[in-house]
Amino acid sequence: MTLFGLCKTMAELTAEKFIVPVLEFQRNLFPPFSYPAGDLADWFASEGGIVTLAWIYAVNIAFAVGMTNLILVIHLERKIAARIQDRRGPMLSLRAFRELGEDLAGEAPTWRFKGNYSGIGIIQNMADGIKAITKELIIPNKADKFLFSMGPIIFISSSVFLLVLFPLSDRFAASAAPAGLMVIMAAFSIAPIGVLTSGWASNNKYSMIGGMRSAAQLMSYEIPLLLSMAGVFLLAGSYNPVDIVEQQREATWLFGLPMWNFIPQFIGFIVFMICILAEVERVPFDLPEAEAELVEGWTTEYSGIRYMLFLAAEYIRGFAGAAVATILFLGGWAGPWPVPPEIWFLLKVYLIIIFWIFIRWTVPRIRTDQILELGWKKLLPLSLINILIVIFMVEIYPYFDDIVNLPEVF
Amino acid sequence: MAEMWISMGPQHPMTHGLWTLKVKVDGETIVDADPELGYLHRSVEKMGERRKYFMNTTLTDRLCYASSTTWTHSYVLAVEELMEVEVPTRAQYIRTIMLELQRLASHLMWAGAYMPDLGHITGALYFWRDRELFLNLLELPSGSRLLYNYMRIGGVKRDLPDGFEQKTERILKLFEQRLDEYADLFENSKIFRMRTEDVGKFTGTQAMNMGITGPNLRGCGVKHDLRVEDTYEIYEEIDWDICTREAGPGYSDCFSRYMVRIDEMKESVRIIRDCFKKMPQGPTMSSRVPVRASGEAFRRTEDSRGEALMYLVGDGSDRPYRWKIKSPMFTTISACPHYLKGYKLADIPAIMGSIDICIGETDK
Amino acid sequence: MNFKDLQKELKAIKGVSNLSLIRQNVIKIDLEKSVSKAFFTKLKEDFYFEHCSLITAVDNQPDFELVYHLSCLSGELTVDDTKMSAMIEVHIHLKRDSPSIDSVSDLWFGANWHEREAFDLMGIYFVGHPDLRRVLLPEGFAGHPLRKDYVYEIHEEEW
Repeated sequence: MTLFGLCKTMAELTAEKFIVPVLEFQRNLFPPFSYPAGDLADWFASEGGIVTLAWIYAVNIAFAVGMTNLILVIHLERKIAARIQDRRGPMLSLRAFRELGEDLAGEAPTWRFKGNYSGIGIIQNMADGIKAITKELIIPNKADKFLFSMGPIIFISSSVFLLVLFPLSDRFAASAAPAGLMVIMAAFSIAPIGVLTSGWASNNKYSMIGGMRSAAQLMSYEIPLLLSMAGVFLLAGSYNPVDIVEQQREATWLFGLPMWNFIPQFIGFIVFMICILAEVERVPFDLPEAEAELVEGWTTEYSGIRYMLFLAAEYIRGFAGAAVATILFLGGWAGPWPVPPEIWFLLKVYLIIIFWIFIRWTVPRIRTDQILELGWKKLLPLSLINILIVIFMVEIYPYFDDIVNLPEVF
Repeated sequence: MAEMWISMGPQHPMTHGLWTLKVKVDGETIVDADPELGYLHRSVEKMGERRKYFMNTTLTDRLCYASSTTWTHSYVLAVEELMEVEVPTRAQYIRTIMLELQRLASHLMWAGAYMPDLGHITGALYFWRDRELFLNLLELPSGSRLLYNYMRIGGVKRDLPDGFEQKTERILKLFEQRLDEYADLFENSKIFRMRTEDVGKFTGTQAMNMGITGPNLRGCGVKHDLRVEDTYEIYEEIDWDICTREAGPGYSDCFSRYMVRIDEMKESVRIIRDCFKKMPQGPTMSSRVPVRASGEAFRRTEDSRGEALMYLVGDGSDRPYRWKIKSPMFTTISACPHYLKGYKLADIPAIMGSIDICIGETDK
Repeated sequence: MNFKDLQKELKAIKGVSNLSLIRQNVIKIDLEKSVSKAFFTKLKEDFYFEHCSLITAVDNQPDFELVYHLSCLSGELTVDDTKMSAMIEVHIHLKRDSPSIDSVSDLWFGANWHEREAFDLMGIYFVGHPDLRRVLLPEGFAGHPLRKDYVYEIHEEEW
């Protein structure tokens, strides 16, 4: 049972039991004006209507899953950062509310397990959301008002679009596009336009420099990123995530160990991990929003929910980047049986994200000229070497294999 | 992009205080700079002319929030020179211990403020965590955590409390362990060195001409420390070395300034231990402290940030006729166009952070 | 160069008077205003005073007095086999009606802002200074507050 199949069953059920009867009732209510309701009823009874409804369900489920993961990632980042920095991080919880209430009422708190006001702090995210929504949206006086509000829309919509594009497993996928990974990378590369737009429209020199930095960085890292992905596409012969993961699942190594792509294409894996870090703009590559010299760069002038959505969109991009890395190099949802493949997939994604969080809180930020030098002079040649290795593996090695009976490695 | 002026400050994460740095950039390269001061000017010198000599220690405490005892000590030394007061030996030892504890706290404050400049927030919390230890120590004899008012004309406020030596030794041991741990996170880190090496270079000759003193000058390889060269208290009886950097990679740049301060902290630990070993018993306050003074006197001390000079003129009354404060950061900031030119915009926090700005003393 | 030789040579220079030792390593001299620039150039070029520690202006009513603290940090000047660094304190008297003197900020860059501060708070004019503006007080502030004849009541503007 795939996600789409499930959604289709649900769509059939809802169309048959709920939507069509309601529309029929409206048509019969006043026959001379039956035009929209009647046509809609006919459409929902047909195959096209049911498939469309199934798509809406699937996309919404994927969106809900992604947003839940977003909250978890933010919370994980805060807690791990706090532990790295010898603090405890957010601890606001429902029990803390109760304790607070008891304190305010003049009674001693009754729940004294770990000291007062203790908890894992998951509703801190809700508190932050409420704070962001209730804050004033400030538009600077001399800003380009249309572009100023268009910038966040471009950035956030292209990021949320990413959520429905990657599958959690071969059955849990909202999108089944044959060129799935290409679409993901296309969606990734829309964001610099939003960044540049909002940086320029803010009418602030810091924002302007931040936007410029972002554009330069994303442009120079897109090329090694795609070149390092090309090796995987060559090996699998497809852009489809499902095919890529299937190829990794079937490939075995010494003693029948699974050979996921990061073993033969180790150079490509390293290049990809560095580039995707620069692509999602996390430390040490978060120059566009360097708070030390650019005061948060292109987000300087944004406030309230717009700023919050920028932040959320960056985490979504981080999550999507980790998911792409998992699909390409870490064998996607492949894993031993008793754990479901979706859980395997999320485990690997979270492993990468935790690795990123550790990096973020242990290294300083590097400089603009250094990042560009790294991208053009080091990562680009390395990704080309990686492609050469893959070409050797795919095209030349099988002939040797026929002649000299090498052990079955690939 | 054409050349444009960017105004950094008075409220900007880079400034570490309240001042404005106007930089002219061509793309990302700095072409020109123009520092502006005066946002925190409290006219301490003018206020000091209205107060009695012993009252002014409250003002000197407030000169620098990160290193208040050293400034009070500098003032007190100058007044003692003016009034010809002899300070008891035990008071001198206690002063030295307090000065070095304050130097440790100040350098840790600097290191903690420097890390976010490079985009490393964890470093800030680590160093500030250690600063708390030394603030706890400074609180024990003086009773407060930021503005101590512990140095008095003719001695110190009160003797060290019981068990101070054991507590200090425990904290110093912990601190030494932690400094060794931090070496892997900071000075051995590739990215940290990429950001700090070959950035903000000036030679020793240039630095002396521009009026740059203290750790910034020692980072250029000049073996100059006023604790030795214009010695005060009991520094010449204590066994310690001046920290400088040898020529080579990481020389007279931001990294060398970082390393000099880290080495100085280790030296301060040595000084404190030696002080406790050699400290005699006795009174902590001079028996004869006059109120009036005439003539003129000056003393210079090695503040946490460089050469602090207090020049006092008395006219025979109980208030100073003229009181002049020389702040090391005042001239260092004035020279910033020289050492900022030619570097990238992202280097501004790295350079201005590495020279350890304190605006309280600069604006007076 | 030894500190004793320095004292002998300083005594021979025209315009220098009242040479005395404040401490073991500090010389105090009085200097005539007219020879100040040549004297400071000589101090920097020949006697290794490469650091200008402080320039203080004192209002000794009715006249002004400028106090220059110059020091040698590099160790070229030795003080009787000790590690101490040599220092010189130069006093120059200025008339109240014309408080001006040649600037030394081309010799020591560190003197630049000290001179600006003396101009700002005491109203001493430094001839040849590249950028003689107020440094601590805002532009347009009336008067020089560290002068002894400064009156508070007439400067009640909000800053």
